[in-house]
Amino acid sequence: MLDAFSRAAVSADAKTACIGAGEIASLKQYIAKANTRLDAVNAITSNANCIVSDAVAGMICENTGLIQAGGNCYPNRRMAACLRDGEIILRYIAYALLAGDASVLDDRCLNGLKETYIALGVPLTSQARAVAIMKASSLAHINETNTETQMTESNQMLQQRYNKMATVKGDCSMVSAEAASYFDRVISALG
Amino acid sequence: MKSVVTTVVTAADAAGRMPSASDLESVQGSIQRASARLEAAEKLAAGFDAVVKEAGNACFSKYPYLKQAGEAGDNQGKVDKCYRDIGHYMRLINYCLVVGGTGPLDEWGIAGAREVYRTLNIPTAPYVAAFAQARDRGCSPRDMSPQALAEYNSLLSYVIESLS
Repeated sequence: MLDAFSRAAVSADAKTACIGAGEIASLKQYIAKANTRLDAVNAITSNANCIVSDAVAGMICENTGLIQAGGNCYPNRRMAACLRDGEIILRYIAYALLAGDASVLDDRCLNGLKETYIALGVPLTSQARAVAIMKASSLAHINETNTETQMTESNQMLQQRYNKMATVKGDCSMVSAEAASYFDRVISALG
Repeated sequence: MKSVVTTVVTAADAAGRMPSASDLESVQGSIQRASARLEAAEKLAAGFDAVVKEAGNACFSKYPYLKQAGEAGDNQGKVDKCYRDIGHYMRLINYCLVVGGTGPLDEWGIAGAREVYRTLNIPTAPYVAAFAQARDRGCSPRDMSPQALAEYNSLLSYVIESLS
């Protein structure tokens, strides 16, 4: 497993060269952005439950066959497995975002994931859709553009489900593009 | 590759949990020291050839017998290899300064080094002399800031410890 710094060491070692001023300048950027990066990781980890359950619920709303008898989220046991997998994927994305490098996501999560899902008969398109919803809501949490669930007549007792970050709005925009790339990496690995 | 971030992620992964607040704190702690480390790495890279040359000269001036026939430096090719090895160690120190841990030195420099030197019948004392010279030679603020110099010197000490 590598992070942004050890990635620089590995690629310099391949050339038997020192890590010079050019690479160090880009690492200084990582350091300058470090606090927003930690805020972004915190935005994902403190809202993981909300992000995962919303994504799986959204996936099912779009394809209700999943929870009918014979569907892949029926019975509860398989629904629970689906929620668990969503959380595992989100967890590895949080690790990758913290490290600033995709190697932990690749090595420990995506390697063989598609083959495993095919062997278990899990529909890849549904899984990819859930990850896409997780991407949208995670980025909303990171960028502070998330909104509360809309009130309806039948649902007057709504409480705030997520932990509103107290960071400056848009402060994490540089890191959010990187976070998006990790979600896209998962989606393309499933495709 | 061992660094603060990878250690934190490995521990969190083994427990199957999201990065916790204390994980983020320890990453933040290493980031705060990082600017001094990067300064040392940058200055070392800039003066790399001079540092290696001076360290290599130190070992042959302290142990002139090395250039006698039958010793480890009895022809120019062997002498050049000694300078090359010192350069390798210095390069790994540069990586360690960037990574913020001893991972590169451990994995690429120190693991197996003792066995290799014994097999090839190379004494390690001259290397120690070379790195001790490099450690004594560093001067703050002429070469780098005090904090950066402290990070650089502690890695030189780490190499010296592994070779002695």
